[in-house]
Order: sequence, then C-alpha cells, then structure tokens
Amino acid sequence: MAAPGGPRPGNFPPNYNPNSLSNNMQNLQINQQQPNNAGVSAPRPPPNATPFGQRAPAFAGSRPGPPPPGVFPRAPVPPNAPAQTTLPPNMVSSRPAGPPPGSQLPPPPFASRPPPPGAMPSSIGGPVTPSPPALGPRPGSYPSSPQTSAPSTPSHGSGSGPVSNGPPTFAPRMTQSGPPFPPAMGSMPRPLVGPPQPPAMLSSRPSSQPMQMHSSFGGPPTAVSSASGQSAPPFSGPPQNMMPPLGSSPFSAPNTGMHQSINSPYGMQTWPAQPQQVAPPPPGSMQQPPLMFGMPPGGQSLPNQSMAMSHSGQSNIDPNQIPRLAPSASVIVHETRQGNQANPPPPATSDYIVKDTGNSSPRYMRCTINQVPLTADLLSTSGMQMSLLVQPLALAHPSEEPIHVVDFGESGPVRCSRCKGYINPFVKFIDQGRRFICNLCGFMDETPRDYHCNLGPDGRRRDADERPELCRGTVEFVATKDYMVRDPMPAVFFFLIDVSMNPTQTGATAAACSAIRQVIADLPKGPRTMVGIATFDSTIHFYNLKRSSQQPLMLIVPDVQDVYTPLESDVIVQFSECCEHLEMLLDNIPTMFESNRIADSALGAAVKAAFLAMKNTGGKLLVFQSVLPSTGIGSLSVRESEGRSNISAGEKEAHKLLQPSDKTLKTMAMELAEYQVCVDLFITSQMYVDIASLSVIPRTTGGQVYYYYPFSARSDPAKLYNDLRWNITRPQGFEAVLRVRCSQGIQVQEYSGNFCKRIPTDVDLPAIDCDKTIMVSLNHDDKLQEGSECSFQCALLYTTVYGQRRIRVSTLSLPCTNMLSNLFRSADLDTQFTCITKQAAIEIPSAPLAQVRDQATNVCINILYSYRKFCATVSSSGQLILPEALKMLPLYTLALLKCIGLRSDGRIDDRSVWINYVSPLPTPLVIPLVYPRMIALQDLNEKELDDSIIPVPIPLSSEHIAIDGIYLLENGVDCLIYVGEDVQPNILQQMFGISSIEEIPNQFILQQYDNPLSKKLNDIVNEIRRQRCSYLRLRLCKKGDPSGMMFFSYLVEDKTANGFSYVEYLIHIHRQIQNKMA
Amino acid sequence: MAAPELAQTDPEGIEGVRMTWMNWPRSKVEASKCVIPIATSIQPIRPHVDLQILPYAPLRCKTCSVVLNPFCRVDFTALIWICPFCLQRNHFPPHYNSISQTNLPAELYPNFPSVEYSIPNYQNSQNFNQSSPIYLFILDTCMIEEELEFAKSSLKRAIGMLPENAMVGFISYGTQVQVHELGFSEMSKVYVFRGTKEISKDQVLEQLGLSVSGSRRPGPGMHKSGGGGPSPVAGAGPHTAINRFLLPASECEYTLNSLLDELSTDQWPIAPGNRALRCTGVALSVGTGLLSASTAGTGARMIALVGGPCTEGPGSIVSKDLSDPVRSHKDLDKDAAPFFKKAVHFYDEIGKQLVNQGHVLDVFASALDQVGIAEMKVAIEKTGGLVVLSESFGHSVFKDSFKRIFEVGGEQSLGLAFNGTLEINCSKDIKVQGIVGPCTSLEKKGPSVASTVIGQGNTTAWKMCGLDKSTCLTVFFDVSSSEKSDPAGPTSQLYIQYLTSYQSSDGQMRLRVTTVTRRWAAGSEDLVQGFDQEVAAVVMARLASYKMEMEEGFDATRWLDRNLIRLCSKFGEYRKDDPASFTLNSFFSLFPQFMFNLRRSQFVQVFNNSPDETAYFRILLNRETISNAVVMIQPSLISYGFDSLPGPALLDVQSIAAERILLLDSYFSVVIFHGMTIAQWRNMGYQNQPENQGFAMLLQAPQEDSQLIIRDRFPVPRLVVCDQHGSQARFLLAKLNPSATYSNAQDMMHPGSDVIFTDDVSLQVFLEHLQRLAVQAS
Repeated sequence: MAAPGGPRPGNFPPNYNPNSLSNNMQNLQINQQQPNNAGVSAPRPPPNATPFGQRAPAFAGSRPGPPPPGVFPRAPVPPNAPAQTTLPPNMVSSRPAGPPPGSQLPPPPFASRPPPPGAMPSSIGGPVTPSPPALGPRPGSYPSSPQTSAPSTPSHGSGSGPVSNGPPTFAPRMTQSGPPFPPAMGSMPRPLVGPPQPPAMLSSRPSSQPMQMHSSFGGPPTAVSSASGQSAPPFSGPPQNMMPPLGSSPFSAPNTGMHQSINSPYGMQTWPAQPQQVAPPPPGSMQQPPLMFGMPPGGQSLPNQSMAMSHSGQSNIDPNQIPRLAPSASVIVHETRQGNQANPPPPATSDYIVKDTGNSSPRYMRCTINQVPLTADLLSTSGMQMSLLVQPLALAHPSEEPIHVVDFGESGPVRCSRCKGYINPFVKFIDQGRRFICNLCGFMDETPRDYHCNLGPDGRRRDADERPELCRGTVEFVATKDYMVRDPMPAVFFFLIDVSMNPTQTGATAAACSAIRQVIADLPKGPRTMVGIATFDSTIHFYNLKRSSQQPLMLIVPDVQDVYTPLESDVIVQFSECCEHLEMLLDNIPTMFESNRIADSALGAAVKAAFLAMKNTGGKLLVFQSVLPSTGIGSLSVRESEGRSNISAGEKEAHKLLQPSDKTLKTMAMELAEYQVCVDLFITSQMYVDIASLSVIPRTTGGQVYYYYPFSARSDPAKLYNDLRWNITRPQGFEAVLRVRCSQGIQVQEYSGNFCKRIPTDVDLPAIDCDKTIMVSLNHDDKLQEGSECSFQCALLYTTVYGQRRIRVSTLSLPCTNMLSNLFRSADLDTQFTCITKQAAIEIPSAPLAQVRDQATNVCINILYSYRKFCATVSSSGQLILPEALKMLPLYTLALLKCIGLRSDGRIDDRSVWINYVSPLPTPLVIPLVYPRMIALQDLNEKELDDSIIPVPIPLSSEHIAIDGIYLLENGVDCLIYVGEDVQPNILQQMFGISSIEEIPNQFILQQYDNPLSKKLNDIVNEIRRQRCSYLRLRLCKKGDPSGMMFFSYLVEDKTANGFSYVEYLIHIHRQIQNKMA
Repeated sequence: MAAPELAQTDPEGIEGVRMTWMNWPRSKVEASKCVIPIATSIQPIRPHVDLQILPYAPLRCKTCSVVLNPFCRVDFTALIWICPFCLQRNHFPPHYNSISQTNLPAELYPNFPSVEYSIPNYQNSQNFNQSSPIYLFILDTCMIEEELEFAKSSLKRAIGMLPENAMVGFISYGTQVQVHELGFSEMSKVYVFRGTKEISKDQVLEQLGLSVSGSRRPGPGMHKSGGGGPSPVAGAGPHTAINRFLLPASECEYTLNSLLDELSTDQWPIAPGNRALRCTGVALSVGTGLLSASTAGTGARMIALVGGPCTEGPGSIVSKDLSDPVRSHKDLDKDAAPFFKKAVHFYDEIGKQLVNQGHVLDVFASALDQVGIAEMKVAIEKTGGLVVLSESFGHSVFKDSFKRIFEVGGEQSLGLAFNGTLEINCSKDIKVQGIVGPCTSLEKKGPSVASTVIGQGNTTAWKMCGLDKSTCLTVFFDVSSSEKSDPAGPTSQLYIQYLTSYQSSDGQMRLRVTTVTRRWAAGSEDLVQGFDQEVAAVVMARLASYKMEMEEGFDATRWLDRNLIRLCSKFGEYRKDDPASFTLNSFFSLFPQFMFNLRRSQFVQVFNNSPDETAYFRILLNRETISNAVVMIQPSLISYGFDSLPGPALLDVQSIAAERILLLDSYFSVVIFHGMTIAQWRNMGYQNQPENQGFAMLLQAPQEDSQLIIRDRFPVPRLVVCDQHGSQARFLLAKLNPSATYSNAQDMMHPGSDVIFTDDVSLQVFLEHLQRLAVQAS
C-alpha cells in the first residue's frame, strides 16, 4: 500500500487517491496509470488505505508522522509507571496520576494493548522491586476506571468514531469520484477535516513539493508541471492529512484510551471485557472517516510521485520535494470487503479498525499486492514479489468485533474433502445448497446433511449472514478429537535462570528473579497452569516445589555433557500448589548464589534438561542467560575475535559468524519443537554471547530473543520485567500447526519466521503469540482465470492457554488482474517492504554483506524500473518516477541499508539480534524499526494539552536537529533522547532533573517530576511503549559522546561515511533505472 | 554334639590363632599326604583380657622387619637380640638399656605372644579430626512406604548413636542417585546422578565440585557454596569441599533427620508388570567417588540399605520385566544369567576402588527377592564389609544387626576397625599361599610367597579395609619342597609372626603383633596329636566354597568324600579291606561327622538356596570365628525336658520327642522346637497355672538360651519358634540327620518321634561307606 504518509492518510476512495496523488507529483505518470486504475481497481485503490486514517490507538498506534514537529510540553511521567507495572487495572489507576483526564476516556476500548507502558513505570521506580507501587493502585482503581472510561468513550467516540460507522459514510465516497471529496470534508465534524483540503494541507511540506521537481530540474518537468502543480497539492495533501490528526484533539482522546487499553492487554482477562465497553462509541465515530476521504481529490490516474533528476544527478534535488512519510493520526475504519470486492487494507502502520465483511482482517493476513496477477510473467515483470504476511493471533483493535467461535459439534468444521480447506465465505454453494465448490481447489463436495441450507435468490445460502463461517473472513472453529493427537496440553511455564558468577554479580540474576516473582501473579489462572524453575551455572539446579516442608528441594544435575531430569514429576507442578514455594525461592535465589564463583555456564545442557522435564507436556521455556555458554552440551567458543581478524583477511567469510557455529543446538531445537517446547531467550549480557548460535533455539521453537546489552542493573530490570510480563500475558497458543492454502494456480513457495519446519507444507509452532508473524511467499503454478478471485486461507490449529483446541481460519479473497498498473496501484508498501526486510535478514548470514545490500537496492530499482518502463511512458528521462503506492520505497530501502544488520561495523551479536528480531516481526513494527520515528521535545509545552500525545514526527535528517533542541527517536526497541548542546537548563531540569548537559547519566531512568513538561514526556514515552508493545530501552544521548554517535547513526537520511544521503540515494536509484532503460 | 563343649574353652587364646596341624609336616610330600592342608585361622584383632597395649613404637629386625618378640634370643649384657626368623643380630636402641632378665618389656614376656602397640599418630593432632571415621549411608527408596519408614527409623537411630565427631554423608537412590549436600544451609540440596550411566570416580568428583583439578587453595574458605562446582576459581580445596557432603554427626543430625522425614519413596513411575527402576550400581559408584575425596587414610564405611534388585544401569542383575526371574544357581550353571558377569565385573571394580581408598562397603539387604549380593560379594568381602540379608527392614534380623554396628564400647560392640593391614613373616621354609577371608592382597612379593595361590595370594601383606573383633582369616601355608635336613635339628621350631596395623573405632592407630611358634612334626604321631578337627572342618568348608566359586564344574561332594576317605586311610587304624576293623583316633573322631553335615549344608547343597543366600552364607563362613563357622557347618542342638537337665542332643531326627523342647542353633537361625505334647499343653495355657510352674520354666529356658545366642551374634540370627508338625518345623528337620525316613519309618519309629521325608543317606550309612572305602587299598 501507499505506506508513505501521503496517500494513506487520506482515506480516499481508491479512485480519487490515485489521481490526486499522481497529480501531486508530476503529471506524466498520472496519465498512464489512470486508465488502468479507473477501470479495474477503482473501487479498491491501494491508496485507499487512507480511509482508515486513524488507527486503533490500542495497537501500535498511528504511524509516525505528522510533519510539523510540535513541541510538546512534558508531562510528569511517574504516575503512569506504577500503573503499568501492575496489572491492567493498575494502569488505570496510574493513569490518573500522570495524564489523568484525557487518557481515560476514549481509550477504554483499547485497553487491551497498552499494558506494556503501564508495566514499565513500576520498574522504573525501583528496578529491583518495581511491583509494590503498582500493585497497590490496581485492584481498587481498576474496576472504577473501566466504568468511567466507558461512559466517556462515547463522547470521544464521536471524535474518533470512525470505527463502526465507517462503512456507511464510506460507501458514498466510493461511488463518488474526485468531487465527493469536498463534501466529505464538510461532513467531518472534526477540526481534522480542515486538513483534507490539499492545498491547505501542504503546509511546509506540500509547498515544497510542487516546487521541487519543476523548478529544480527545469525543462522536462514543466509540461507536466501544470498538471503536477495541481496534483502536487494532493501529495502534500496526504501528509497534510496527517497533520490534522495530530492537531486534532479527538485523536488524542483515542490515544489516551490506548493507555487504558494498555493495561488490559497485558492482562488477558481484562481484554475480553473491554470490547464490550468499547462497543458504544461507533455511532459517533462515523464522522472521522469522512475526514479522510476529503483528502484525496485525485482523478483516476495511478498515483505516482515523480521527481526530476538531472542526469548528472547530484545536487539538484530539492530535499523538500522528496517523498517523505506523511503522518496519519486518525483512526481509519476498514471494511474488508465492499460491494463484494476485496477492499485494500489501510497501511499496516496506521491506526485502523476493521470490520470483517468477508475477507480476513489485514491484521491476520495481508498480501504484498492486493490484486493477484494472472500469470507468473506479469508478476515478474512488475519486479514485485507476492507474499502473504500472516499473524494469526494478532491483537485486534478493542473496537473490533471479537472473532466468532464456531462449534460444529462432533463432526468438526466442514472441509473440502480434497484439499482439506475449511468452509469460508467464498465457498460456492450450488444445486440448492446440496453441494458446494471449494474456492481453493475447485473440487465439488457434497454438503453434509445437517449443514444443508437452501439458497436464496442471490445464490447465497439463506443462512449465510447468520453463520460466521460464511460471512466472516476470520473465524475460529472448535477442534474435535480428530485434531488432537493427545489431550490439549496444559499451559506450562518453565523458568531457567543463569546463576553463574557473571549474572549474579551484574545483578542480572536478581533482575530475572524479581521479574519472574512479579510476573507469576499474571500467569493464567486455573489448574492447567503449571510452572517449574531451574537455575544453572556449570551444573543445573532444579527445584522440587511440591513438598510438604518449608523449603523447596534443590536438585542438582551435575552431568552437563549428558543431561537428564532429576525427577519424573514434581519439577513442574500446578501453579496453585507451589505459589508460595516459588515466591520464596525466587526471593532466595539471588542471595543463595550471590557469592557464586563459578564462571562457567551450561546453557545448552540446562535447556536440554529443562526440556526433558517438560517433554511430556511441552510448554514455554523462558531462559535468562548472561554469558557465553562455556561448558556442557552445546557449549560455544568466543569466535568473535577470530571473526574480527578474519574480516581484515577477507570480507567474504564475515557472514559466517552470523551462522550457528555448529548443528548441535539446531538438532536440540528440532527436538524441542517436536515435543512442543517453545524457548524464549532473555540475554542480559555484557559481552559476546554468540547470539547467532543461541538464537537457533528460539527461532526453531517459535520463541524469540530478548537482548539487554550491555545489561545494566539500574535501568534494565524494568524492561526485563515488562518484556517478560508481555511475553506471558499476551494472547498466545500452544502446540500449533499452521498451513496456508491458496486457490488453484497459486501455491505456497516457502514459509519463513520463527517455527519448526519438518514437512514443507506445514509450519509447526510449539507456541505462537500475537506478536509473531510468518511470511509466506507465493508463486504461480498455473495461470489464473481472468475475472476470478484468488483465495488464500490460513488455518492455525492451536491450544489456548485454557486448554481448548481451536482452529483459527482466516480467508482472504483478492481479485485477479492482468494489468501491470493494477498491481502497482494495489501494492502494499508496508507489506512489500517488510518482505524485503525479512528476506534481507534471512540472507545476511548466508551471503556476503555486499551482495545482500545490492540485492535490496536491486529490488527497489527493479520495481521502479518496471513502473517507469511500463506504466509511466510519458515522463522525461530526467525524471525519477515513483508509483504513488511505493513512493517511500527508496527511502525505506536506504534506511534498510543503514540498519545494524546490514552494516559491517556493528558487533556481531547486535547484528544477529537484529536478524532475529526481524524474523517474526509484524509489519507495523518493521517499518519503524527500519525508519525510526523522531519527534522534537523541546517545545512540548507550547502544545495544547488535547493534542495527540505524540508530536508529529520529523524526518530523520540532521538538518532537523537544532542545537537547543531535545529529540526523541524510537524504533520499537530503543528509545534515544538526544539533548542538544544548548538546551535551556530549565528544560533539562524539568525533564530529567539535571541542571546541565554534563550531568547526563550513562544509565538513564525516566522519572516523572512535578511539572507539565516532565509529565508530557512521560506520557509520550508511555504512549510509544503502548503502541509498540515494548518497553523500549531508554537512553540519553549527547553530542561528542558514543551515545550521540549512536543517535546520529539513526538519522538515515544523512550522508554517512559509507552510505548515501537520501538525495544521493535517489539519484543513485535514478541512474540505475536510466541505465536499465538505455 | 561336641561343639558346645569345645566352645567353652578358649582354643584361640591370646594369639587368636588356630591351625589345622599344630605340628607341621616337614616336607611338601608329607604335607600332601596329610590331606588336610596346613592352614591357620587368625582373628587379627581378637580382644583378650591379657592383651598388653604398648604406648611406644615396636623394634624391628634390620633385615626382615620382624618385630621384637618373646621368641627372640636376647643378650642382656650386649643388648643384642637375635631374630628367630632370620637369625640376624640386632642392637637394642638406647632406651632399652635398662632391660634385664628380670626387667623385661612386655613384648618379650613369653606369656604375651600377642601385644599391641599404640602408635601415636604421625600426623599432628589437628588431623585427628580428619581421621574420625566416615559413615556414608546409601538408602534405596524404591520400596513400599512401610519398608522405607522402617529403614528411615533405623537410620535415624543409627545416626543418633554415632560418635559426635563421626563424619556422616547421605545418598538416597531409586531410579536416580541423589547425593545430599548436608552442608548447604539455605535449603535441602541434592546432586542428582542418572541411574543409567556408568560414572567414573573422577566424573563424580568433578560433578560434585570436588575435583582436585581446581586450584587447591589452602585455607578453610568459608564456602557458602552456591554450588561450588569445579570452577578453578572456587576457593575451597577438596578437603574442605568434601565437608559439604560429609559433616560431623553432631552438626548434621538435625538436618539429616528432617531430610529423612521429607524423603519419600522413589517417584519415578513403574510400568505395570515391571520392577522398580533401581540403580544400586550407580549409587555405589557415586558413593565410592564421593568417599575418594576424603583425606587419604581416613576410615570410611559405605553403608547401603538395599530394598531390591538393581535393574537400572550398570550393576543391573535382572531385567525390568517382572516376568524374568532373578537368576538362580541353575541359571548360573547353565550360563543363562545374562546380567551376571557384567554386574560382577562392575561391582568388582567398585570393590577395587574402595580397597584403594581403604573404605568399606556394607550391604543391608531387605527384600523378599534377591538383591544382588551374589554380584556384590567380592566387593563386600575384599573391603571387609558387613552384609545382612533379611526379609524386611522391619525385621529384627535387620533392625538389631544394624543397630549393633553403631554400638561403641561394651560387649555389644562389634569393635569395628578401619584400614587394617596384615603382614605375615614366617620362617624360611614356610610359604604363604594366600588367605581366604575378608581381605585383599596387596601383592607384596617376598621369599615367603608360595607359587600356588589360594584366595588372596601372591603376597605377604593384605589390606583389610574393615575388620572387627571376630574377623577371622584363613591363611594357607605350604612348606618348602626340599626334604633337606633342617640345620636346627629335628626339634627346631617354626615361627610365624602376624603384624596387624589398623585404626580402631576411636581413631587410634594400632599395631597388633602376634608371634607364634610351632614344632615341626617328628612323625605321624606328632601329626595326629596336633590335629584340630574343628579348624580342619572349617578350612575344608572354606576351601570347598572357594573352589566351587573358582573352579568350573567343581564337584564339592566328591572332593570332600575323596579327601575324607584319604584322611581316614592315612590316619585311621584298620586292617586292610576289613571295614569292621576300622577305628579312628579321638583327634579325628568328629571329623567325619563334620564332613557329613558339611556335605548336606547350604555351603555345598547350593541349589536349595538363591545365589544371594549362598553368597551371604559364604561371606559369613569365611569371616566368622572357627567356633561360629563350626556351628554353620554342624548346628548345635540342645534338648530340654522334664526328666533331664538341658543338654546337648544328637543332631538326629531321633532327638525329637513329644515332651521335649529342642533348641537348634544353625548360626543363621535359631529354632525353638516344641514337641507335640509340649505344644498342646502350652496352647492350653498350663504354663500360666501356678501349679505348673515347672512347665513354665521349661518353656522359658530355651527362650532365654536363644537370647544369649542372639545377643552375641552378628548378624542377628533369625529366631524361629515352632511346634512339631508345624510348617516352620522344617527349619529344624532340614538340619537333622535323617536316621528315620519314610523308607525306614517302621523300623525306627518310636513314640513321639518324627520322620524326615528325604532320600538323603543318614549318618550311619555314610559312615559305613566311609569305613568300607577307607580300608580299601588306595
């Protein structure tokens, strides 16, 4: 999709957008595309994404975006913190303290997600014992808060309203072409609307755009220019649109809601409740969508962005004219199908609410292109790839309708007898409903007798609307015995903690124990929750928690070459039976081992031993490790230094260090996966630990790597706690199997992500959670039928934490096309780029770095080249023409090249961590990872309180860094706060409690002081945490310091020692395309 | 029969030595004609009222290391003594200057052929603590709750009885081995070893964090062990590290008691139809490894309480499948015991390791089935360990025996000692073939080593890791083959000196020196006069058992018969081919009967017993005193009746009478057998009537006598009280001479008597045959 701010923000009816966009840029491109667009895709236009403009705050939150860097006053943060730590309820309580009023209201619905932030605070306060404060507030506040929020919500709802109402408004727009736009604007209740008007919107950026091409490049563009001139605004428009959201208070409201939601997300329980509360808002919300629409006034032409480039290239580009992200802050309401047509989803990074009208929500499954090329040739010509990103358990927006659970009784769900596809809305019933044709394989099946229903005059079953499986893109079936090889497994959580000398001295052990100690209260309740714990150094220490005595029994497995479990039972026991013992034990472990002098760590053996203990059930193994495993099975050697010396010898082999050192751990991981054990690694290290080798285990078992480097006992325990809490409380399932089926003509080529692959067709997931995404690359094995639709169905069979066996089935049906321009128009930028990033991550360990980097650039070039060649005939050779939907591709690609994973100057472990982080990462988090969000903090005070919490992002260029400014940059993992040299001391004092820049501590802990600035800062950070579902590592940076260097390394648009600036890169791309053209 | 009479005397005397032949045959040929080998039994540390403890170091001969003894010729003026073994002249050191004919040191008193030197510890006194003995308990947990409770309570009582400074360790095992770290205060902590994997001593040490490979930093580092692994950084040297596992009884009694309270039966699941998974083998090797970390020279006992057969890992004696029975003698004979050889080898290695360390393996087995004593026999015997076989940990055979180990001082004490070494010096015409009994050859070669080996041979020194007051060894001698005339003349004496150094139960080092002298036999008469038939019977029993184990296809019965016939031929008086003329000298008169009973005993008729029982019997046969061993071979029978004083009765079915009570002592069991009438009266309660006090006393007498027997015996025998015609009566009948069987019942039957249903020949028949064969020309 058009990820870039421009197109999306406006939720134009597809039709409109394209044109407008193209107009903005340079006319040339527009024309060509238009025809195509108009005809085929009109309804769907990729740009449409915009309609949704506003995302569900509950989730990651809206994209970065709004151009104007507003300075927000900082609010006192602390209150939030406590809340977060505690359960969701706490959140509520906490909130009041911090950003009280605003936040509560609308957000309630969202409550689910936000939790992370909440959790954070507590930790902040005191790393060691964060919990206490949080706890207190929780219980009491909780109940009350929801209620309060609920009532308030409606009111806000109106502002944010877009949610449910969306559809109605929508429809009208759709029909309308360009014109409707204005009316929409008018209709919009909000102030936001204002922005829609392209011209107005332009503000700083838009203005520049028109300027750019023509003026600078001169001749060629001119012809176009007239058109472009007009069009230009639209482009800018989108960005503008973005703007409004920012400004608009309504948004902020949702955001606040987010906070609440935050709480809930962590706590599973809260989660379900929220939706209900949320429900009311819809009516009011309707209004918002219109706003979006207003934006795109475009004609039917394809959306392009073109830039004139001189042949000589270089300096001629006006930096203001180049494509940039346009922020969108408003929530978009997205119907997955409209008029029996697939509706292209909003950008993954935007804030949207999905109404499942037949196709699966894009949260669960989205495709890189929202139309399916008829032939493989067409696809390859486009230079794009066709892949699905599936995230079967993705968190829904609290306002969204929960997924229906369908119980077919003993017979189980209706399935195609040939391909085993599940019944879905696209199955065609014929012969009075007695038979049905599978939309996946085309086979004709008998309808089971008790499932028979007559067809209505429209050819649909009469009961289609009452049966979720026939009218919803995503449903969940209750699995029967046939889907179980054994009884559903209990929820087993096994904690494995490194207690060798290093972690006990650095405080990592204490941090881990403390985190676990606090988190166990959040474990799923009930008799099916089992826990176990073990510690290890050069031996492995199990604990028998099920004893009558006062103390647990420590059982040591000393043989780390050939491990075993020391007890058949009682190592893993029901949580309710051992709670007290476990707590006592966790309190004791740090002191018990505080004088441990054993430096060796037998991680591999410990994992193996824990596995043996879990073998009967499977479950989650949470490992806290700090040093390179030096003894026992799977021990590793320090190969980084060897690698370093090799690098000078020859760059070629450098990537070998990113591969596992041997197969031992892989073999072990396969075995773990086979027995449904999922491993998460929490690395609290201060040295090289060979992530490349260790990560094989979590990757193969559906887990992930958490990396705290260099571990700081002061600032990291809070993050550790919050990560662990989210890990345990987020929606998840066990012993899962996933399979994607496609209509005839398309087949799955490969799956990638964190899972175990034993047979090519299935993905085995010992555990899967809401944050795990699997990339499914597709290819043609036949030509598709013109005018048909192509279906993709993702089925996930899993066991819930409460022991139900379920099959979650998501079906997506997309139109087929033989028009190249349709492909470009319906391209989904975020998804495309996510795939590019993931593929790069996959290749890094196996290919020389230069090759990987070239590959990334080549993908970008090939796509643009194809577009230039086949869809943008008119333009002059001096212009770089970008399809509107993909106009941000060069910037993202450049940013990708500057990621730690694709640089050679990073630590090996950091690069491995990056690769691992990317592997299961959902689309909404990939974009900020590569292109972080930066906001200015110094003028927070000047902003109105009811602004959206997070100021408008600014481009990642040092031009935007003022010496008296303070900037926050975050990528979903790290959060850097850069303090300029000449910042006013009173701001420093208010925000950080320091009087001069010299006092900036190495280990920064965000605190809330009693002043609005501090409060705002805390609000912002918490909001970001909520959006990212991550606590983020906070760091204060200043110039002339390594921290400052790090900060500037994220400014990807700058020229660096071995990297292009954004402008240079555009020129580079342009040249390459021109070469190809020639 | 005669046994009780003999027992009243003290044939061992202060020497603690008995010999088959008091006067030795001169030559090899002559010796072989004697049939019964030249052998002596010695109880190395037999207590004796007259035994002198000398608080100084012994004097030794410069050349042959023989210790000064009463048989040395002393020149008081020159202050010189002449060694009777090598005739070397030795000067007395200055502190002996004051000796004279009337002022003799104790070691020169002719009345004291045995003296004991108390050797001050060479180590300084600080080390005294280290040499306090170690008790490492190894408890099987694969048993039913009730049994485990019995075992636990016995253990607790034992720990309470230990001297305060005794070092205690504890290992429990089932499917896996759990080494309990008693020195870890924060919580109960155990090291777990897998039961299926053979583990070397070094691995045990390394995995317990006791490896010496780590820096051996001196100084008692307060290791607050967070699990002091084998890290090189670990401050604690092995000596202190071992204190994590071995603590003085006074310090760990509470810990151990609460630990035992917590200890439950093994939790590993047992598949239906299977035996419990029990890794006795690994448990023992882990225990051995743990003990190896203790200071060298420290006495230690590894006390294993075993509740069933080892089925897991090395040392398994049977498969897990219950449908496979534990090997029987028949299986062993047919080589149909697939686990046997491997297990024997495994336990032998443990035994060797323990001997190297000077530590003892004791096994207390309580199970209805076999537990593998047969496989462990060598390890137990070589280390001088104790073994007790019983049916239940709740049975007095176990409970009371176990308790006695820990009694210190007093009559009940076994006088357990550690780290014994026996050296034998003998006159130059005498060679040592070896020792049968609880010891291990130290392979110390010397001129006195015979070329043929019996038992632990090829040496003149033996290790006895564990020994006690009643430990008895059988030393087999040979004489030089040459017939050369002895320079010292026909009356010359032969000398043998036994040097036994050991660590007494209170930790003191002692050296017992026993010097014996005997005459070379001047002729056949001398030999006859010097024959000790009890010793001879025991030696034959031990030798037969030994040969049965060592020699494939050895037919013990034939071998005993043949030797008996040869002996009778040589020493009997008869006319050739005239059985009726046959008479035996009184010195030999009991011997045939001993042989008759030996032939019928459990030592020869092994097929009536399980291999475990056989091993158990043999271990005890080999280590017990002569008088006890004689009882094993030929039980004693005492008869109680109204008409006579209690007295010995013939070990014959004819001794059974309706109005008698019989008390049978067959060593392993004591049977009180009530005649039919007695039993009826008793059942009617006559003994409770005041007018029948006599009857009450009659009933009481054998009870009291049996308690006397039981009290002094280790292992505690099983007491069987039974009535005539009761099922338990078989314990008596099996031991009686079947003079009355179903085949001759009519002839022999007299009122109240009994018959034995057997085809075995009776003693009478046996003797008839013997006479007939003895008088035949050889």
